[in-house]
Amino acid sequence: MSSLLEPAFLHRLSRLHLVARRRFLGGSSGSRRSSRRGASAEFAEHRPYYAGDDVRRIDWNAYARLEELVLRLFVAEDDLSLYLLVDRSASLAFGAPTKLEIAKQIAAALAFVGLSGSERVAVFAFDETLSMATPATRGRRRIGAVLRHLDAITAGSSTSLSRAVDALLAQRPRPGLVALISDFLDPEGFERPIDRLLARGFEPVLFHVIAHEELDPEPGADVVLVDSESGHRVEVSLDARAIRAYRARLDAFCAELEGHAKKRGLFYARAETRLGIEGAVLGYLRGEAR
Amino acid sequence: MGLLSPASLAWLALLAPLVALYVLRRKHQLRVVGSTLLWERAVRDLRAERPFQRLIPYASLLLQASALILAALALARPSGVGRLPDGARVVVVVDTSASMAIRSGDGRSTRIDDARDAIRALAEALPSGGTLSLVEASDEPTVSLAPTRDPAEIRRAIAALEVRGVGASIEQAVALAQERLRDAPSGSRIVVFTDGGTDEATTLRAEVPIEVHRVGTEVPNDAIVALDVRARPSDDHPDRAEIFARVVRFADAPAARWIVASLEGGGVLASRRVELEPREPLGVTMLADLPPDAEGRPGFVRVTLSRDDPAGAADALALDDVAIAPSPAASRLPVFLVGDAPASLRRALLADRDVEPYRTTLEAIAARAAEAPDLELDGLVIYTGRAPDAPPRGDALVVAPTTDRVFGVALGASEEGARIVSWRSDDPRLRFVSLSDVALDSMRPIRGGEARALVETDRGVAAASLTHPSGEVTLLGFDPDRSTLPERPSFVILVRNLVERARAHRAEGGIPSARLGVPLRVVAPEGTEIDVRAPDGGRSRTRARSGVSLVTIPAISGAFEVRVGARRLVGLRNLLSAEESDPRARARFITQGGEGADVAGQAAATREAWVYVALALLLVLALEALWATRRGAT
Repeated sequence: MSSLLEPAFLHRLSRLHLVARRRFLGGSSGSRRSSRRGASAEFAEHRPYYAGDDVRRIDWNAYARLEELVLRLFVAEDDLSLYLLVDRSASLAFGAPTKLEIAKQIAAALAFVGLSGSERVAVFAFDETLSMATPATRGRRRIGAVLRHLDAITAGSSTSLSRAVDALLAQRPRPGLVALISDFLDPEGFERPIDRLLARGFEPVLFHVIAHEELDPEPGADVVLVDSESGHRVEVSLDARAIRAYRARLDAFCAELEGHAKKRGLFYARAETRLGIEGAVLGYLRGEAR
Repeated sequence: MGLLSPASLAWLALLAPLVALYVLRRKHQLRVVGSTLLWERAVRDLRAERPFQRLIPYASLLLQASALILAALALARPSGVGRLPDGARVVVVVDTSASMAIRSGDGRSTRIDDARDAIRALAEALPSGGTLSLVEASDEPTVSLAPTRDPAEIRRAIAALEVRGVGASIEQAVALAQERLRDAPSGSRIVVFTDGGTDEATTLRAEVPIEVHRVGTEVPNDAIVALDVRARPSDDHPDRAEIFARVVRFADAPAARWIVASLEGGGVLASRRVELEPREPLGVTMLADLPPDAEGRPGFVRVTLSRDDPAGAADALALDDVAIAPSPAASRLPVFLVGDAPASLRRALLADRDVEPYRTTLEAIAARAAEAPDLELDGLVIYTGRAPDAPPRGDALVVAPTTDRVFGVALGASEEGARIVSWRSDDPRLRFVSLSDVALDSMRPIRGGEARALVETDRGVAAASLTHPSGEVTLLGFDPDRSTLPERPSFVILVRNLVERARAHRAEGGIPSARLGVPLRVVAPEGTEIDVRAPDGGRSRTRARSGVSLVTIPAISGAFEVRVGARRLVGLRNLLSAEESDPRARARFITQGGEGADVAGQAAATREAWVYVALALLLVLALEALWATRRGAT
């Protein structure tokens, strides 16, 4: 097993399932209600009989009462597609532990839950574009391969969430859950890629990874802050006023991201590097509104 | 606004290394962060909130540069005056004492030059309707410019300002200025420019504001502060004289100097190289033979103070590097005995080998005067019994007059058995003389007139002094032979004092020696041309208006040669003042009784802007300290 997940945590995860607020058409039968009608044991509705329908589905009790042939339709149960988009840009290498470690742990936890629930899971890492993708897979036995793949993800270059989403959509994947695990510090913004996913029938789930050092920067004298992705430099005196101004900007950014998610009925969770992933992941899996 | 020490602005050159050091030192610590996206926005917020935020990284440099600029400005000693209310009257009191001729360290200007520049700036700042007047404070205050607003007239008066003499009568000058500002409109004030070269506190009383501006800086100066030439004859050297000079070095370091004594218009008599310690007076004695010239007159001894290198930089004050004194009186003083002089008096005169007695009569003198009007009796004239109507030119002694009036002074009837009860011991003629219990068999009391009593008896004045433009007359209302006076040693001393005084007056050529800048007092008939040649070769001519003419002369040390007709006179002028030669600013100014007047203490008296600049400097330093301790605090 990978070092990404603790056994005790895995044990707790094994009893949980992925939460999707939408219904998706599955690729194969599974345990999740589908948007189409199928052959599960769960009654869905009646509809008039037409020639050619399966006569075994005629509700004879209804015919006795109504003298009209109607069919009994049942809910179909499909599997769910989970796409894990893990940000591997250079900014994720910041913090102790790094944000990338946390992102990979979240992805591992979601993959574990998904594969345990017979969902279809695909992992994508991205920086400027998609890379290091694993083909969609299902089945508990595939967990090891997925975790090894996650282990192998290393920090890349600059972030482009938009291009990553565009590249994902270009592959015409089956609609499903898209777990965006990122710090969302993309100069091009986070709104467009999220809205693009929604428009194409996906349900984005946002895991916002923040390093403790970003939340509480260390004060100091005059410093030059160097952007780990672009190399851009900002001269600033790290006095109390500057730190106050930064925190205000950070709070505004988080509130903006969370507000964007809430407005669209999406799940949003913040994962701080020092606090670990349990709060964020369990919060999602338990269906807690965030 | 002007700068009293503009050379100090050179300190601003330190800005270059300061900036260089700061640039080299200012290496920011690099810190890698995940993204600077939010930091950029935060910095934008800070700059929008405080536009000067961008300057904060350079705040320390800016503060230090400001401190340096302010320090250089303070050292440059900015001074000046602000705008005055319309119609305000300004009276400028200028110290024109000799110390104002002290040159600055670079030798380019004197203190009086600096004062002129400051007054010009003041004149340019005059408000509309305002007037400016000048009062010169030298030995006595004089108004050199009546209140005027005419720029050309003001410029001329400022240009004419020069050192006048010894002593700065600042107190009296301010009092005079106050008199001129009586009922002056608001904003009027008195502005004093002085180098503060007086030892005593100066009390300034005025009902208007007084500003005291100090000019000049402290520079090394060597000075002759005393000079005396006395006869020290011996059998081998009858004309031997002792030249005594006292010199002082007003500086912080010792130096070697040459003291040279020479005969005015002649060669070097003696010289001495001396080591001068800072502010320690050094007495130098030199011996020289000083024979009288071809006309039997004594010469003048000129003493100069010079450096080893004659071509080197000049001394800060040239006026005190030279002094002149008459040589001891000619070895034999002619004494004309007119009439039958008392035997005791003749004996006392004959005991003095430097006296050449001549016996003559009034008639013989009158006959000689008729033959040669310009030829006068050149010595001490002693009249016994009778005296002429007018006193002779020079000193005279009248003994036991027989007429009722002598030179305008009345004599009373003869009194018998008088005793001397008092005498003026402060008179040079009675120096070291004791007349107690001297009995006079008979005497004629001297009464009224312009005579000043010298000796008084219980019957009236027995001896008196009468001063006339060209000399002084000593009047004895008794015959010494008919008194107990010749029995006393004081009689010989009295005669000796009379002879020495006559000798001194004769040596001076009739014009008393005086301090620097004092006008020459020349006795000359009305209409006579008086030709004056200054020690620096400058000449001036004037015409006598009355019996005594006061001839204004420049403040130069040395011998002023005066020609009045066929007569040649010499007037000596010396600085010889340690107070004037000391270049330090020592004056303390105290303002009294003036409503709204500035408290002119030692610090406030300067009224220079450097005080305010220094305060600003302290403020900047405090800000720098605050910044250095508070920066980066959370």
